Amino acid sequence: MSTAQGRGTHAKAILGPELYAKLENTHVLLVGAGGIGCELLKNIVLTGFGRITLLDLDTIDLSNLNRQFLFRKKDVKQSKALVAAQTASAFNPNVKITPIHDNIKEPQYDIPWFQQFDLVLNALDNLDARRHVNRMCMAGNVPLVESGTAGYLGQVQPLLKDRTECFDCIPKPTPKTFPVCTIRSTPSQPIHCIVWSKSYLMGQLFGEDEDADAGGELDAAEKEGENAQEIDALRKEATAFKAVRDALRSPTNQDAAHLVFQKVFNADIKNLLSMSDMWKSRSPPIPLDFEGIMNGSFVLRQGANADASTSKLPEAALKDQRTLTLKDNVSLFIESTNRLADRLRNGEDTISFDKDDDDTLDFVTAASNLRSSAYGIETKTRWEVKEMAGNIIPAIATTNAIVSGLIVLQALQLLRKSYDKLRNVHLQFKPAVPLSTISLSLPNPQCGVCRDTYTVLRCDPARATLGEVVKGLLGEDEREVSVYEGQRVLSDPDWDDNNERTLESLSVTRGKFLAIVDEDGELTTLSVGIALLPDDHPADAPPFILPSPLPQPARRVKPPPPAPETPHKANGNGKRLLPVELDDGVIDMAPTPKKPKRNGLAPASVPNGPVSVGTKRKATGREGEEDKSSPSKKRRLEEEGLVVMDGVDDKLEEEPDFILIDD
Amino acid sequence: MSSSKSEPGLNNSDEQSGTALTEEEASRYDRQMRLWGLEAQQRMRNATILVVRLRGVATEAIKNMVLAGIGKLVIVDGEDVAEEDLGAGFFFRDEDVGRKRLDAAKPRIESLNPLVTVETVANAISLQSAEFESIIETVDLVCITDESRDTLIQINQLCRKHKKPLYTGGTYGLHGYIFCDLLTHEYLAPIRGESGEAPKTVKTSAKYTSLDQALQHKWSGLTRRQTKEVNPALVFSILALWQYQSLHGNQLPNAVENADELESIANGLIQSADVNKQVLTRIPRDLMESLSVTANHEFSPVCAIVGGMLAQDILKALGGRDPPIANLFVFDGNTGSGTTIRMKMA
Repeated sequence: MSTAQGRGTHAKAILGPELYAKLENTHVLLVGAGGIGCELLKNIVLTGFGRITLLDLDTIDLSNLNRQFLFRKKDVKQSKALVAAQTASAFNPNVKITPIHDNIKEPQYDIPWFQQFDLVLNALDNLDARRHVNRMCMAGNVPLVESGTAGYLGQVQPLLKDRTECFDCIPKPTPKTFPVCTIRSTPSQPIHCIVWSKSYLMGQLFGEDEDADAGGELDAAEKEGENAQEIDALRKEATAFKAVRDALRSPTNQDAAHLVFQKVFNADIKNLLSMSDMWKSRSPPIPLDFEGIMNGSFVLRQGANADASTSKLPEAALKDQRTLTLKDNVSLFIESTNRLADRLRNGEDTISFDKDDDDTLDFVTAASNLRSSAYGIETKTRWEVKEMAGNIIPAIATTNAIVSGLIVLQALQLLRKSYDKLRNVHLQFKPAVPLSTISLSLPNPQCGVCRDTYTVLRCDPARATLGEVVKGLLGEDEREVSVYEGQRVLSDPDWDDNNERTLESLSVTRGKFLAIVDEDGELTTLSVGIALLPDDHPADAPPFILPSPLPQPARRVKPPPPAPETPHKANGNGKRLLPVELDDGVIDMAPTPKKPKRNGLAPASVPNGPVSVGTKRKATGREGEEDKSSPSKKRRLEEEGLVVMDGVDDKLEEEPDFILIDD
Repeated sequence: MSSSKSEPGLNNSDEQSGTALTEEEASRYDRQMRLWGLEAQQRMRNATILVVRLRGVATEAIKNMVLAGIGKLVIVDGEDVAEEDLGAGFFFRDEDVGRKRLDAAKPRIESLNPLVTVETVANAISLQSAEFESIIETVDLVCITDESRDTLIQINQLCRKHKKPLYTGGTYGLHGYIFCDLLTHEYLAPIRGESGEAPKTVKTSAKYTSLDQALQHKWSGLTRRQTKEVNPALVFSILALWQYQSLHGNQLPNAVENADELESIANGLIQSADVNKQVLTRIPRDLMESLSVTANHEFSPVCAIVGGMLAQDILKALGGRDPPIANLFVFDGNTGSGTTIRMKMA
């Protein structure tokens, strides 16, 4: 306990004695102890939230220290959650922090576990975890504050079931993928070559022995209609990889790196060149001549400055920002391949790309630059490759600090139940309004997450059967249903083979959800969270406890008939994007959609149809009727200073209020 | 880029802006250099910043600037740690109560980033003294926090005399402000909206004004929308707090009984500033009452926001890229909104 009675003087005066006292008993979950997490932990500790559970699966890296201020150099490689808790505890001895070094998606963090918290604060850096926590909070009806930062931009969004949008009410854009053949045969941008090196080449040489998988990917591409002749050539390439894989692992082979070079940057390219169709309207790649490059006689392209040795940039002060010549890249390739081969020979089973692993970064830099050179694409510095291959989002302390302060302010409104005071807050580049606030939208009636009816089934999955559980949950209700776990169908009105099987045998276990879907589409889906039986459950009692009263799914709100307007853009409904989750081998080149900034002029790309000029808007629940495509898109555009017109002849009102700042 | 007199950003006293970063620096600053670039980092690295008064906002701003890797930090504060300081001052611990603030804080500030030099002036020096003036001469930028308007005006004159850019900031309960006078500030403004390639930049020059000049600002030039956008109720509430403080021997209001006087000051200021009457003629009473009660208090989340904006702007000013605040920013903790108004700026 703190010896300083007066430490709460200021906070008490600002919050008032009741709220201040309430905070002492408030139990909050903070998911993430990184950039936002460190700042947020500091704020909630100082503000006096009495019980804090902090969860993070990550360990500390040197590059974290420019902003994750609870960590020191000596803490590198230790658990973020543990070190953060230790450092921050000193800021307020009255507060108890429970750190957990684990993944929030683990089954033991089930709905009852989430329900012990009065509030959940996300401080995450990926879409998958955000979606998961959103779902658990909707299911458990726990208030959640979502947030994100990237560079100077940031956002805070409170989420409360039935009162506000949930995280999934507005679809987030899926990460951009490239066609297989672009990556494998016809790259045209540096990123294609980087993806190729990082995922394909590294995988072939240093990854799992994946003959089957490589074949699988090619089979799928063939089905998609990609060029059959090309696919066949790629298949041949896959088997030829085996020879070099073996060379890399053989302790006696001193020439492995050179072999790889010859195969990948010479023989394989020659192979592709034989498919003349491909190069009818494209500039063909040039096979690289190892000896020629090393002795300076090889000329890549006549006239073109393929070597970039006369760079416009001054001598880089950072080694990594040097532009590499073709020869540099060849040397780096051989050298890094040898280092990786040595690691294999010394017992490492597989090696995959990690931006913080110098050997793999060197390899990917060299390999992608060599490929780029062969294809006449501009090369990148190691610095740039690290960012592109490693999906690095630039990050600074101040944005996280500002966002964290804003999170606490919204959290307090949630705790006070001052729902009309809740706001989404954005950090933006607009000089007059650097911090902009907008009112929250109501839930999307079609949302596949928060519009479900949630319930918890405590059970022993090893004994409870699918049939008895579903029957028990439906009770008197005799309607026809299909039952899913995730994407998997477990039963439908015509197929009840699984009814006698235990939940566990169907992989329906703690932390997962059974979805009971109404065949007629009249009622909302019943989403059943699986939790364990209490410790004192008698051994002879049934292996499940039905919720009491039984859940009554509500009537489903049917989607309105499609409106006669252009469909919304492929990159989502215009909602500001949190940093986009990037899967291996897949990179989103433009996570932030371009926003036209022309005050008072209707941009060319505004959808036609029933959107009205922005005026003061409270969340009345009528948004869904007005703008059928997306309740938030109109708001989003207006937030950027656009006035959305009804039609070509509409006139601007005198000084419409298109920035919604609460009065 | 070689050092030249027409280089944007600040004129640093140190000529080593071309020195290569060490391995340690390259790793530590990797994520931020990917945002603002190597050159801006080098300018920060060569800068000496003076911070006056170590309360909540300064604590946050210092943390941010030290993490970012400024060259040297000089802090002036002659006071002792009070129990209330522990609410937002995370450089202090229970056992520091009664000790000099700077004695307690110095090692903890240094531990945030050993690459930054930290110098503290813990003896109580007057801001009117020759000693203080001599400190100003040795730094590249001055940052005063939680100080009264009248003192700020004096220090502003001193900074102008020695051609030092000035930042000031503070919080009043849930609200806060930042004011800056960057003399004539040159920077490379990025033209945003380009993806893929590095954004183009255009060299821009902004002429700032001193605080006493800025306070003469008339609002008649603004449209109704422009007026409303910048939260005039809060701006004038803060100006009223400053005036109240001036009339009451440096004391802020600290009880709801003071609301009447505060309100009358505020409404007088609104009148004489020619604020658009359709937008605002009087400050909402509840804002006056809540400020009367809370102005004298600081709150960690609000300090984090204002301290964050403050440090971010100082770093932008040092870096010479991106436009800094021009010239009064106010933060409204009731909603979370932050707006900037140009007061008597060209």
